[in-house]
Amino acid sequence: MSANIDHLKEEHHQPSGLMRWITTTNHKDIGSLYLWFSLLMFFVGGLMALVIRAELFQPGLQLVVPGFFNQMTTMHALVMIFGALMPAFVGLANWQLPMMIGAPDMALPRLNNWSFWILPFAFTMLISTLFFESGGPAAGWTLYPPLSLQGGNSMPFVIFSIHLLGASSILGAINVIATILNMRAPGMTLMKMPIFVWTWLITAFLLIAAMPVLAGAITMLLTDRFFGTSFFTAAGGGDPVLFQHIFWFFGHPEVYILILPAFGIISTIIPAFSRKKLFGYDSMVYATASIALLSFIVWAHHMFTVGMPLAGEIFFMFTTMLIAVPTGVKVFNWVATMWKGSMTFETPMLFALAFIILFTIGGFSGLMLAITPADFQYHDTYFVVAHFHYVLVPGAIFAVIAAVYYWLPKWTGKMYNETLGKIHFWMTTIFVNITFFPMHFVGLAGMPRRIPDYAVQFTDFNMIASVGAFGFGLSQLLFVYILFSTLRQPVTVADKAWDGAEGLEWTLPSPAPYHSFDTPPKID
Amino acid sequence: MTGIKSTILKLSFVVVAMYGFSYALVPIYDTFCEITGLNGKTNQVAYTGNDIKKDNRFVTVKFISNVANSAPLYFEPTVTEMTVQIGKPYNTHYVMKNNSSKKLHTTASPSVTPGKYAEYLKKIECFCFNQQTIDAGEVKDLGIQFVIDNELPQDSGDIVLSYTMFDISDNIKETNKL
Repeated sequence: MSANIDHLKEEHHQPSGLMRWITTTNHKDIGSLYLWFSLLMFFVGGLMALVIRAELFQPGLQLVVPGFFNQMTTMHALVMIFGALMPAFVGLANWQLPMMIGAPDMALPRLNNWSFWILPFAFTMLISTLFFESGGPAAGWTLYPPLSLQGGNSMPFVIFSIHLLGASSILGAINVIATILNMRAPGMTLMKMPIFVWTWLITAFLLIAAMPVLAGAITMLLTDRFFGTSFFTAAGGGDPVLFQHIFWFFGHPEVYILILPAFGIISTIIPAFSRKKLFGYDSMVYATASIALLSFIVWAHHMFTVGMPLAGEIFFMFTTMLIAVPTGVKVFNWVATMWKGSMTFETPMLFALAFIILFTIGGFSGLMLAITPADFQYHDTYFVVAHFHYVLVPGAIFAVIAAVYYWLPKWTGKMYNETLGKIHFWMTTIFVNITFFPMHFVGLAGMPRRIPDYAVQFTDFNMIASVGAFGFGLSQLLFVYILFSTLRQPVTVADKAWDGAEGLEWTLPSPAPYHSFDTPPKID
Repeated sequence: MTGIKSTILKLSFVVVAMYGFSYALVPIYDTFCEITGLNGKTNQVAYTGNDIKKDNRFVTVKFISNVANSAPLYFEPTVTEMTVQIGKPYNTHYVMKNNSSKKLHTTASPSVTPGKYAEYLKKIECFCFNQQTIDAGEVKDLGIQFVIDNELPQDSGDIVLSYTMFDISDNIKETNKL
């Protein structure tokens, strides 16, 4: 059988050079494309963040005009969410899911190619709006009407590119579910799946349920602007608050789409470097599922100040707080996994540990925001900015970086430089806190978000944050250097690159062969 | 392969259904607001019943106005505050002037604060039921006839009736072109 397949492989003509990447249907190629694209977008979005932080270094207007500043905050969010984080997780899913469940490839390889190749076009269109005479979108990534309806000519382009990004995510999610449900190796029951597979399965369901709602909401914006409908235009009897409800009905599951795969990564790395099995596997699965279900009934905590009735405020406050329970289960399970383990602190583990601590800080500030009466003070201040950057940067992004360090030896067969990795970790972790921790203070003191200028008493903390942001940005150049220097090294890594690593992917040679598990492995 | 196909079919159905659900949220939201009296949306149909009884209670109704998107309009209530007897119909009016040099089409969007009292303010007649056409420089009186329902809770405070006037000339022109 395997000889037969080797023969087929030689027969199979593969285009080389650029055409290889354009026409590829191989999950490993597509995974790499996603990851490289995500890295590129991480720097594009990062540059926008640095424009914001440079302007906020001092009060007053220094570098950019307020209109451009608003375009930067809007585009930074869209690029980071849809360009950096989501493709990074889809890339990891592409690389890892088939290897983890013993499948030869994703279920729908051509669709997979298409899901990826939509992205560069969508982002070209999105970013090109910055060069329009009327500028790019400036109403915030949440696109609230009536402001977003009053923007320049970029609006239909932004909406169409978000449609494309949504289509790409939905196709990717269908592919992930079809793969996981149908292509597991014989004997791998659902409750035997690696935890990363579980978190991605649940994330994919969230994507399928949430992205079409976003598509609906922005289509309504489009028809309101160009086809005379009045979903959100008060002149025709519409209601702008309705948009906020529909948007956040998508938006809250979206934030879990950005964090659940990260939970999966951390739950994979912590046991590997603690040399123990993951504590409470079943409860991890149930916690992930309950977070996903709860995410659909908490949306209005993003909009406590729109004038909801007391009953509504209380309902959304308590359901939001309820999410802390399954999230707490996860955090305690990670801690319990490390308990009495023989731990070592390689770079992936360091990032995973920082994730647990810093993500939990972000979780706690989230709990503070959930308290309705307190939220009236915090709403639309830098406290909110601090909160969601703590869960997304040392949360989701740290998990992606940890995953790259952890699986890089498997993907390339080459080991990164551990010393440089540790330097990268410490610089990143120190600078991320210098950047975002002061934002809590200015937020509580009342500094509003999305404003290019601020009152002078906020100057010191803003300067600190700006210094941190530039330090953080520079540290990521070290990450790129580490990646490229690793790629230049000879292949030295054993099949099982980490001695505590568990899972089917570590039974494959390093680097993982182009076609793996042509015959499914047996699972006991 | 059949397993994969049926998975794709089911998932595609979910995608389409959730897209439909986003549109279904619009009527759901409106119904929800109507039932709970949220948002201060008042009835956009004239009250024609005669089941409201006179009552010896009095309540203060305040009138305010807004012009949306800096449209070239003067739009103000002639009386900003009235103390009215519950159950008795009252008349008042707003004045609108077209400060531009063009004929404009306008429409007004009403709102009552506090929202939970919106249902007790019954409009017998209101300019907000129709759109207006106003010539350049023209001044118009826009009348309202309303009655406060005797079901109004005892502990209610003042009721504020607000109108936001929109210039919809562009939309009208576009519709005519189509």
